[in-house]
Amino acid sequence: MPEKLSQKLLRVLRSFPAALSSSAGKPGAAIPGGPFGGTNVRRTFVKNLRLTLTRLTAARDVFETASEGNPRSIGLWVGAVLVTFVLLAPLGINDYHQSFLLQVFMVIALAQAWNLISGMTGYVSFGHAAFFGVGAYAGALFLTWGFPWWLAVIKGAGIAALLAVPLGFLTLRLRGPYFAIAMLGLNEVGRVVATLWVDVTRGGTGLTLSPKLLPSLDVKYFTMFALALGATLLVAWVHRSRFGLELRAIREDEEAAEMVGVNTTLNKVIAFVLSAVIPGAVGAVYVMYTSYINPASAFEHARNIEMIVVVLFGGSGTVWGPIIGAGTVMILRELLWAQFPAAHLAALGVLLLVVVLYLPGGLISILRDRQQKRPDARPGESP
Amino acid sequence: MELLEPDILLQLLIGGLLAGMLYALLACGLNLVFGVMRVINLAHAELMLVGAFGAYVLFTIFGLHPLVSLLLIVPVLFIAGYYLQSVLIERVVERPMLTSLLATYGLSIILINVGLLLFSADFKSVPVLQGSFLIGELTVSKPRVTAGVISLLLTVGVYLFLERSHLGKAIRAVSEHAQVAAICGIDVRKIRMLTFGMAAAMAGAAGVMLSVIYSFWPGSGIDFIQKCFAIIIIGGMGNFLGALYGGILLGVVEAFVGGFASTQWAEAVAYLLLVTVLLIRPTGLKGVARA
Repeated sequence: MPEKLSQKLLRVLRSFPAALSSSAGKPGAAIPGGPFGGTNVRRTFVKNLRLTLTRLTAARDVFETASEGNPRSIGLWVGAVLVTFVLLAPLGINDYHQSFLLQVFMVIALAQAWNLISGMTGYVSFGHAAFFGVGAYAGALFLTWGFPWWLAVIKGAGIAALLAVPLGFLTLRLRGPYFAIAMLGLNEVGRVVATLWVDVTRGGTGLTLSPKLLPSLDVKYFTMFALALGATLLVAWVHRSRFGLELRAIREDEEAAEMVGVNTTLNKVIAFVLSAVIPGAVGAVYVMYTSYINPASAFEHARNIEMIVVVLFGGSGTVWGPIIGAGTVMILRELLWAQFPAAHLAALGVLLLVVVLYLPGGLISILRDRQQKRPDARPGESP
Repeated sequence: MELLEPDILLQLLIGGLLAGMLYALLACGLNLVFGVMRVINLAHAELMLVGAFGAYVLFTIFGLHPLVSLLLIVPVLFIAGYYLQSVLIERVVERPMLTSLLATYGLSIILINVGLLLFSADFKSVPVLQGSFLIGELTVSKPRVTAGVISLLLTVGVYLFLERSHLGKAIRAVSEHAQVAAICGIDVRKIRMLTFGMAAAMAGAAGVMLSVIYSFWPGSGIDFIQKCFAIIIIGGMGNFLGALYGGILLGVVEAFVGGFASTQWAEAVAYLLLVTVLLIRPTGLKGVARA
């Protein structure tokens, strides 16, 4: 854009001091000559300092509200009932329903993984299904190479983690939208690599696992359940721990978090790696469930969509949100649109729009508001 | 290697330039929206596909030539974009960028899957304008020339509109500082609706051009949005001309990589370029640093 116009705008801008201060930069942004420069510079410094203080207060508020009481005892009871049901279920239901529950566990585990990085830190990952694909391929390969199934799952998780460490260090330097843009292609990259690396992945033909190698449905059911439970407990622990508070401080204001002494890079990378381990393991179990994998099914774009929508629909950054979201979405899928996969995804898109526009805190915020009646609490921000 | 012969290099260059002009048209629209309202429209490539499928439907049912349907699709997408802005995007403009990112992501999911329901996952194309021009030793395919030239004309036309017209000036003012523009008496909301309408129309035009040269299916968008991101990050986010240059650059680089390595690597060029630039300069090469 030409200079003339911007100068004209600047002149107008100068005659509105209020507008100027509201558009002032971030703290510490460009103080030429240090804090002891001219009056103008000093004024900027003071303004920046004041801004920093407000941000620090905001960060402290996050720390404090986060440690307030939540309906934990109710959560524990509901959790205990659910776990008992799941453990006893294989005795009384048929294979179809058991498979359905297995898929629900899968979605819960994946959603919790996404919740860990995106719900907690606000770094929205559009490419997390890539770790699922990597885990699925690793699991399939190690199984065919003669490893026992549980070792294949562990290796799938480990390889996803190994990939996530350098990837996290590289991409998490990017702030908000730039991170999202960089992650958007990750799943596609995974698919291209899986298609081209024919020696190992057999390209588009895919890998078929012989039934002899596979564990029984019960084993897969309980493994997937263990992953969902483990992921949930991990999120619950992170939620209560100092680590989780630091992650949420990053979400609210990264600069301020840095200023109160949070090691933002390390925290983000740890959260990222943890959130990659889970899909890695889930992918490995999933491949044992389907006994076949190809680039398109391992790196399925729909899986990304499902992760994101389930978490946001249930309530991102919370422990129960992804579970509620996964349950609701899976039941809707089963009852309403199982026959039309495209309609299912289109409905997820509509759901995402509705949640983003009208229910930023997700379903769980409705429950919570009714329970606590705290009009000042912004939905989705306190646990 | 016979690849290094000047004829072949020139051939690759021309092919790259022509493809780049189409990319530029698409990326300029995306960048216009980003510049004016700081919204990254993840559904931009799907709006392009709406244009492409529009051309496909008009061709298969009414036998309309894509160049004729361009005249229909551009205004329709302008109106669609205009109201899309007022119904959806306007609600998320003032919210954090991630909110608008998720909203437009939702929109793209809906468009892709409605497309799948209507047209299935088969590749479609509009087989008109066959054959190629022969200039000396060079062969240049007719559809590519048509698509490239029309795309370039449209992009330059929009650029001139932004630079020369009163309305264009208002759009630029909002893009530089919305609050001040509002103080100066510009109806910012109207301008945003207009801008999104224009961007959607540009995407639709790019779609019609795309339908002439490539085959496409409802899920084609991801490749193109990826390219657009690479382009606007190279050219500068919010910088209209930057997107034009970036688009042409990407087209040429892809053509050469495709010529020397393989087309599959050419597909990866955009992503590699994007990630490299982001890693060197986490906020992009040029353009609005923080806004």
